[in-house]
Amino acid sequence: MQTATTTASRTEAGGAVAQGAHSTNAVETKQATSRQLISIVFILALATKMFLLPISLIQSIGRDAYIALAIGGGIDLITLGLLIATIKLSPDVDFFELLKRAFGKVGAKIFVAFVALFLFFKLNISTTESLTFYSDNVFADFDTSLMIIVLLIFLTAAACHTLRALSRLNELLTPIIILCLALLAAIVVMTGFDLANILPAMRAPKSFAADAARHAAWLGDFTPLLLFIGRTRTKKHTAAFTAASGVIGTATAVFFSIVMCAAFGNVSVLADTSTNLSSILQYSIGNVYGRIDLFSSVLWSISAFIETALFFYATCRCVAFVIGKNSHMPIAVGVCVALYFTQVYAMTDPTVFSLIVTSYAASAITLAFAVGIPTVALVCAVIAHKKDGNGKPASETADTADTAADASGSENAGDNENADGAPQRDGELTATTDAEG
Amino acid sequence: MKITAQKKLLIYKILLFLFAFVVAFMPTTASRSKEVNSRVIVEILGIDGGDDGVEITAQYIMPTETDGATSKDAVTVEGASLTEAVENLNTALGRRAELGHCSLVVAGEDAAPELFGTLMTATDVTADVHLCAAEKSAKELVADITAFMKKTAATDADFIAYSAKRAHIATNTLLGFLSDLGSYSQTSYLPIVQMLQGDEQSGGGSGGNSGNGSDGGSGESESGGGGGEKKESDGMTVEQLALYDRDGRAGVLPRQAARGVAWVSAPVEKGIVVADVNYDGETVKAVSARLLKKCAHIKINHEDKSATVKLKATLEPNGDKFNVLDEKNAKAASDAVRDGFAEVIKREMSAAFESGKALGCDPLFIGRQFYRFAPECCKSLDLNEATVYFDVDVVIK
Repeated sequence: MQTATTTASRTEAGGAVAQGAHSTNAVETKQATSRQLISIVFILALATKMFLLPISLIQSIGRDAYIALAIGGGIDLITLGLLIATIKLSPDVDFFELLKRAFGKVGAKIFVAFVALFLFFKLNISTTESLTFYSDNVFADFDTSLMIIVLLIFLTAAACHTLRALSRLNELLTPIIILCLALLAAIVVMTGFDLANILPAMRAPKSFAADAARHAAWLGDFTPLLLFIGRTRTKKHTAAFTAASGVIGTATAVFFSIVMCAAFGNVSVLADTSTNLSSILQYSIGNVYGRIDLFSSVLWSISAFIETALFFYATCRCVAFVIGKNSHMPIAVGVCVALYFTQVYAMTDPTVFSLIVTSYAASAITLAFAVGIPTVALVCAVIAHKKDGNGKPASETADTADTAADASGSENAGDNENADGAPQRDGELTATTDAEG
Repeated sequence: MKITAQKKLLIYKILLFLFAFVVAFMPTTASRSKEVNSRVIVEILGIDGGDDGVEITAQYIMPTETDGATSKDAVTVEGASLTEAVENLNTALGRRAELGHCSLVVAGEDAAPELFGTLMTATDVTADVHLCAAEKSAKELVADITAFMKKTAATDADFIAYSAKRAHIATNTLLGFLSDLGSYSQTSYLPIVQMLQGDEQSGGGSGGNSGNGSDGGSGESESGGGGGEKKESDGMTVEQLALYDRDGRAGVLPRQAARGVAWVSAPVEKGIVVADVNYDGETVKAVSARLLKKCAHIKINHEDKSATVKLKATLEPNGDKFNVLDEKNAKAASDAVRDGFAEVIKREMSAAFESGKALGCDPLFIGRQFYRFAPECCKSLDLNEATVYFDVDVVIK
């Protein structure tokens, strides 16, 4: 009864999934392919680093904002490295199971409860980003308390599906995002944008450090990758390609923040949430090419939604593990209600958002979680790896893990069997195999 | 027939793309008549005034019942501040004026630079909208442009965008203007648009240009009223630059100096250069060439506080006169033409720097370059004492 096993027969009662017979067919329990992992990493690397963060950094730091963003991106890449190492070390045992083995059941639940809180905080940031984009750039009259319901329906639907479904959706939409990014980058390069306006750099290092330190709440974007531990079908070069994807995504975010810094470096007070790449590039290409807002809209609609959905999904799975029930719909609705209240009554108010998110306390806590969670995951994976014996084949490791999981009891069949909490339907396994050819 | 999972996935993908396509385009096609008829789109916005009150003039288009037709007119409103004036514009038009499609903002002579910051942050006008300057009143210029556009049935106010590409004049955007003013040079420029008046109706004006902007009722102000003495515009000219510092308009650069700024400003391309060429002991008048490509950068020397404006321009001489020279001795003729053009360009850039300096401005942004690459040196930098060299390399194609 653990992640390396597959359900041969199942019964569903009260929304909980109980799984029966065991199999050591590790492949079938995988929820994502390496390609899907790579595309998710690319989206996570840039989604929320391309809109509110550069604007907020420019407002407080000025033309050096891109340096702060690059430092933040670098820290996130380190956490990505830790997570990739964990995925590699633990190809068959998922995050929750690793924790249980290291800390015991109660210890794991306490830790996951904190992880859930952190993910919920990050979920709020990405949700605010999505809503701000629509309220300031798309709709003239935007009623947050009403329009957020559309987003919540999407998030609930995402949470009631599997990680595989979310990964597939992202894999399908990533090419559109890359196309929009390439077009915007081409416009920047072709129109001779004065990038030298980012100079001189670091004229006030003390205030730079103080202001940059207040923006650590945007760190930890790769945390949802915890769900991919033990659930990804990796290949020989998956780790390298995933890391490269993260680096390219971060470099893209830094490049576009350089463009924003060059545009607003002399007039940082004029940068606000209604400014984006397309609004500063529109007329540089002339009127004949029509409006280019669509590129920004597509970029945002897709990437921010995917990231928000991933954080929402991860939060729900953590809650499922903590409460020991695998009821997708009730958990998703509960998280939605909490999200609705935090958004409508706090986060969408720019002053409150600024006070909460750009405070030193929030930044310090976020930094601790952003680095701490992947570190703990890696340590647990190393311990499990050593316990199970280095160099053992996956099937053997799985058998050992199987025993350990059985020993931990069966009351939480859902989170043991399928720690990401997703119901595995027979058809899905076939579909994945077919789709990957 | 059994549909495999792979085929299902393909069908889902196709449906998803179709859905995305429909969502992206349906609202603007299926419900066009309902949406567009309820909107007023502002194409050109003129701004006059400052601390004592703001006057904005909007050229707007409104859809009419006739299929595909629109009416174009201008209206002027006042307000204690820019935001109040914009609100009054909505009231005057009876509906929300869509400023997001505004493609040109005209600055009147007395328009305060702060207004443009407010325009960018407090209204829907995009940061990348083109800016131009009126010689005197933005209200009159917008009215004249509106009349001219109606006369020629022009649909787009993109003549500044054209000038940016084809005419040899430096242009600027709203964000660019504010960014330049916020830079160390604290200088910015806007091209001045002047209307050409028809001969039969030009009162005491100077030949071609409208020049002094006499208050002879040229304004089509107050909802396009128009007056009996209204002059007809035959066209427009964009040859001078208005220089701004943080207090407002500092002065006007004449044609030669304005051309000098254009050599250094980024978007200019495809302009025409005319030079007198000395060859074989005689002067050949008005040899012209088209600019194909240019690359300008400013190199600073913080030790002796000098700057060198380096320009490499690729020119293609127009046939007639050059061919006559070329027949005699290709190499020598080419060199003579190159030197002639280089001299003219150098004179234009020098005029830009000197004229700007006389107005207390830095239109070539020499100071900004010092700040970028030697910020410490700026503390003791006096641009009036700095030596500026011009190094022009002309390549004849």
